[in-house]
Amino acid sequence: MSEAPFRNPGWAGNTGEFDLAEADVRGVVASDGPPADGGHPSVAPSLPYMLAAKDPAAPLFEGPHLERFEKIKSRYPTARAALLPALNLAQELRGFLSPETMDEVAALLGLSNAYVRGVATFYTMYNKRPVGRFLVQVCTNISCNLRGAEDVLAAFLAHAGTELGETSEDGTFTVVEAECLAACGFPTCVQINSRYFEDVGPADVPGIVDRLQGELQSGAAV
Amino acid sequence: MAYPYRHDREVRVMSEAFGDPAARTLEGWKARGGYQGIARALEIGRAATVDEVKASGLRGRGGAGFPTGVKWSFMPREQNPGRPHYLLCNADESEPGTFKDREIIRWTPHQLVEGCLIGAYAIGAAHCYIYLRGEFFEATGVLAQALEEAYAAGLAGPDVLGSGVQIDLTLHVGAGAYICGEETGLMNSLEGRRGEPRIKPPFPAAAGAFGMPTTINNVETLAAVPGILRHGGEWYRQWGTEKSPGTKLFCVSGHVSRPGNYELPLGFPMMDLIEDVCGGIPGGKALKAVIPGGSSVPIMSADECESCELCYEGVAAAGSMLGCASVIVMDETADIVKQVRRMADFYAHESCGQCTPCREGTAWASRILRRIEEGRGKPDDLDTLLQISDQMTGTTICVLSDSLAAPIVSAIEKFRDEFLALIRRGERVGAA
Ligand SMILES: Cc1cc2nc3c(=O)[nH]c(=O)nc-3n(C[C@H](O)[C@H](O)[C@H](O)COP(=O)(O)O)c2cc1C
Ligand code: SF4
Repeated sequence: MSEAPFRNPGWAGNTGEFDLAEADVRGVVASDGPPADGGHPSVAPSLPYMLAAKDPAAPLFEGPHLERFEKIKSRYPTARAALLPALNLAQELRGFLSPETMDEVAALLGLSNAYVRGVATFYTMYNKRPVGRFLVQVCTNISCNLRGAEDVLAAFLAHAGTELGETSEDGTFTVVEAECLAACGFPTCVQINSRYFEDVGPADVPGIVDRLQGELQSGAAV
Repeated sequence: MAYPYRHDREVRVMSEAFGDPAARTLEGWKARGGYQGIARALEIGRAATVDEVKASGLRGRGGAGFPTGVKWSFMPREQNPGRPHYLLCNADESEPGTFKDREIIRWTPHQLVEGCLIGAYAIGAAHCYIYLRGEFFEATGVLAQALEEAYAAGLAGPDVLGSGVQIDLTLHVGAGAYICGEETGLMNSLEGRRGEPRIKPPFPAAAGAFGMPTTINNVETLAAVPGILRHGGEWYRQWGTEKSPGTKLFCVSGHVSRPGNYELPLGFPMMDLIEDVCGGIPGGKALKAVIPGGSSVPIMSADECESCELCYEGVAAAGSMLGCASVIVMDETADIVKQVRRMADFYAHESCGQCTPCREGTAWASRILRRIEEGRGKPDDLDTLLQISDQMTGTTICVLSDSLAAPIVSAIEKFRDEFLALIRRGERVGAA
């Protein structure tokens, strides 16, 4: 795997002069990903998704995922409140939310199809159509914009070989513009699936794209 | 521990452990004095806990600066049967320019867990939801581990520290919508609805999440509470000003040599922050403008920054707002028209669409600004923008609408020439 530039100084400005390993900075949950059953009920509605290849036909919900769904429901006074976590889990399994998926979730929670579609379409993180293996979201809001975010976006489009909002032909990359990702001190901030890459300049982009390709080949992609 | 941009004028009450992975574990956090605040709160009781926070003068760090102890005292004293109280922790951090809550969550998760426990206890809530923005996968993972540890150690759950008090915490993640940071939008989102803000009244303390008495606080607000309980309200007042006590994380971004989070006493001079703490503007360029509190507040010209003190009353006196202390610095090369247009795009995208002045106004403003930026502006465009902004102010359910009007009006007022130059000549100021 090629060494990609990793500069997530976070608290420290954008020089990259720090001696923490990447995993220390990220606080990576566990190398094998979060438990499928959601762990303790208090955190079951929250655990990260976008961690593995997706199966658009995955059942909603079975085995440990059903356990997680039950834990989620136990944390709220109404079934409706489990809707966002349930949609998150459905997207985690299937990769995107088709109208049929929304209807299935509606049935599981006793809500109407129209209601669930109305909610799901309100939120930008629900993919209404399939996205690439890596969803690359480049912040172009003010703080990153002042420091050249548009050049970073252009570099990602060029190196991933795709157009804005589209997926590369091999299905690997979807590149989109993002609103502020709350990492404004370390421009440009790019979110790739569940990870943040901060302090990214146009020159860093080929290295990041290589790294992601390498992770895909080695099976280490997250 | 490498920590390149510690500055010796910082006062690291909350942020001392940023960058120290050992502080993320329960053991590590206890070794740093963790969970003494909740122990003391349980000892002195609910009313005295509220009083301690009142005495500290802590003001909400989510933008509005409302005194936290006072907010807590709005909750019903006794819990009515069938009317449980809720505490909501607002971790939806998405105001452009703001990047402090994520640092608190990922470096000092137990500080936030303890703050939530104290807040919940103080308002008589048996359940606290932490609403995290969906993008924060990594930070959420860190917080989830801390919460599991807290449950395992009996710090959260049915019998907090053996006191018989029940406080459950649940992590809830959003799915990408800035408006869910607005307190009633957040409540609707938590309940599984579109994140559309609610008309007030009723206020959350009367009928909030699930229609029950609710208090909502920002991450940084709650993270400041354990220290106050541990050391007392007076201790917190040793920093800051009479009206803005304590320390605050300043998120500095844009054109400075050392951007980042700096914890400073409130009232710190703005020019010292930019020039001393953040190392000034790279390349010796001149300062043009500063947005002192996140994208929703009026833009300040370089002159206005000169003697500005960074506290709630200081920034107000300079004609803007401290907001969440997200200081966005722009040097002479910054294109004001373009940046205001980018903000308008953002608000147009994030408007929930309930109120006509906001839904239409943000979209029109974005289109007109783009026209000006591209050299196709019309002579009366500035008047139209001011008129739209006027109609967007004070007319809507929440203040997202006002939040775009403020930067537009202040930018036109202070940088009119840049707009006019583009309108008249179709040229961008600063272009050769
Ligand atoms: C459009 C809009 C977005 C907001 N976003 C946030 C946010 O992301 N985080 C936050 O803590 N407060 C946000 N607020 C402020 C909250 O409504 C609320 O005032 C705050 O969470 C209260 O906490 P505090 O008293 O501790 O400051 C937002 C307000 C508005 C109008
Ligand atoms: S002001 Fe805008 S964002 Fe706020 S409720 Fe109205 S339409 Fe929604």
